[in-house]
Amino acid sequence: MTAFVDGPLWNFALLVFLLGIVWRLFSIVKAGSKPDYSVARRSAGSGAVMTLFRRFLPRRDMAPKIRIHTVAGYMFHLGLFALLLFAAPHVLFLEQHLLGVGWTPMPYWAFIVASQLAFAGLLLLWLRRLLNPVTRLISDADDHIAAILVFVVMLTGCLALMEEFTGLRVLHRFTVELLMIYFPFSRLMHAFTFIPSRAFTGAWFGRRGVDA
Amino acid sequence: MRMSIKPASVERRLCAGVFLAFLLGLLGLAPLPGGVAMAADKVQTELAGKPNNPGAELWRDVRQRDTQIKGVTQVEGMDAGVLININGERWRRFRMEQLIPAVGVALGGVLGLILLFHLVKRGVPIAAGLSGKYLHRFKEIDRLLHWTVALVFIFLALTGLILLTGRVILIPLLGPELFATLASASKEGHNLFGPLFLVGVIGLFIRFVSKNFLRKGDIGWLFKGGGFFAGKHPSAGFFNMGEKIWFWLVILVGLVVSATGLILEFPFFGQDRSLMELALVLHGVGAALLIAGSFGHIYVGTAGMPGSLSSMTTGYVDLNWARQHHNLWAEECESRDEVLSKSEFERSRGETPLGDRPEPLTRGDG
Repeated sequence: MTAFVDGPLWNFALLVFLLGIVWRLFSIVKAGSKPDYSVARRSAGSGAVMTLFRRFLPRRDMAPKIRIHTVAGYMFHLGLFALLLFAAPHVLFLEQHLLGVGWTPMPYWAFIVASQLAFAGLLLLWLRRLLNPVTRLISDADDHIAAILVFVVMLTGCLALMEEFTGLRVLHRFTVELLMIYFPFSRLMHAFTFIPSRAFTGAWFGRRGVDA
Repeated sequence: MRMSIKPASVERRLCAGVFLAFLLGLLGLAPLPGGVAMAADKVQTELAGKPNNPGAELWRDVRQRDTQIKGVTQVEGMDAGVLININGERWRRFRMEQLIPAVGVALGGVLGLILLFHLVKRGVPIAAGLSGKYLHRFKEIDRLLHWTVALVFIFLALTGLILLTGRVILIPLLGPELFATLASASKEGHNLFGPLFLVGVIGLFIRFVSKNFLRKGDIGWLFKGGGFFAGKHPSAGFFNMGEKIWFWLVILVGLVVSATGLILEFPFFGQDRSLMELALVLHGVGAALLIAGSFGHIYVGTAGMPGSLSSMTTGYVDLNWARQHHNLWAEECESRDEVLSKSEFERSRGETPLGDRPEPLTRGDG
């Protein structure tokens, strides 16, 4: 089992992950957009850049209604990226198996803080998805599967933190591989599409002189 | 006539004999007296075939004491100078022989009582049935907080019970190797989620404390058993006395469990072993109390009192449920005209039947 998870399954998951992402991005680009014959009122480029950064905060009139969502969202995403890129076992894995270069990992206390932020944020986001009537209506199975899968990956990773038991490490790697296979076909793709998506919307509105 | 020998004189003679034999033995001038030689032979016979342990005397000296002796060492650490913790075995026996069985009896007992109550009484149904009218009871943030703390608590309870009772219950079932893996995972998970529970408890305190102070009628509610066993349901406001007791139990015991958990999780703030042993007892007993209480809380919130769960899922409760269990609060809401009809409730939940929705605007509608 260990050899299968560390070997063929890892290679398969990595292949599906990379090809899936390329395929999804290519599909979006290939879909294209209608030619815009309107007279440009403002620069589409500045609109794209403005919108890209402006969307990091909610609109002022919406902010009070989604305060928990905003805070929990940042807790989860910042915690997750800190874990993904700076947890000591991950840095070592990336250096030895993927990139060939490493960097200074975060200390143990920072790992604990980051993981607690990530767990609390994800729990709050998922529970809000269930408890709020609007988010519950617009959520489907993909949203729940993605949330649960990411939670399980983070949990198995933290449970294996001591690196004393091969079984725990293999369990974590197995869940990571499931996530990698699921990733390109789910809304988790927003990790790669949020920048072009915001830029496209911002450019479209920017060209028409609309602050979006 | 029988001669009686006083014990003191026997002891004196024996001592004198042994002393004399010891002196002669030292000088090598005479063979050992018969009695001592026989004793030495017996010891030799007993030790025959067993490895000689040169550290036995040292071990006895170090371990069999009444007080802890601290030596000097270059190793840094709170108890680094203690060679043997003489309380360790006492603590281990207390944990294995008293704490674990007591926790098992307490949790099993509460589960048994709940099961018995349910079999006999079948819970406390809404006497007047569902009214089809609704009152708003909990805001979204309250429900978010409740479920976050609940999920974290369940995870902590499971991992904590694995760590506390695993040696007794799980090793025979899983075997030592699988249990070791499970225990390691449980320890990491327990340590990781523990501080989140503390944050959650503080959040619960901030959100709910104003409604959980003792009010008129609360003691009466308690004396009437909350209407669980017989008679009319006693009067209660937004929270009844049972809920208030559970709230203060969660807050106070939760803080004790969290504080002792932090003492155990971060053992580098000068806490010594005896403090950590005490912290572990308080942590275990407090957690068992909370787990036992949670059994009751979960039962009352689900099968024990139909209609309760919706207060924490949708945020709304049926009017008849509120009148039966929280009549004073229901009267307040009714006087403020806060009762929602079924259609208003469904609209607020986005559950309006398709036919009742306005048709979407189409081209040409103006």
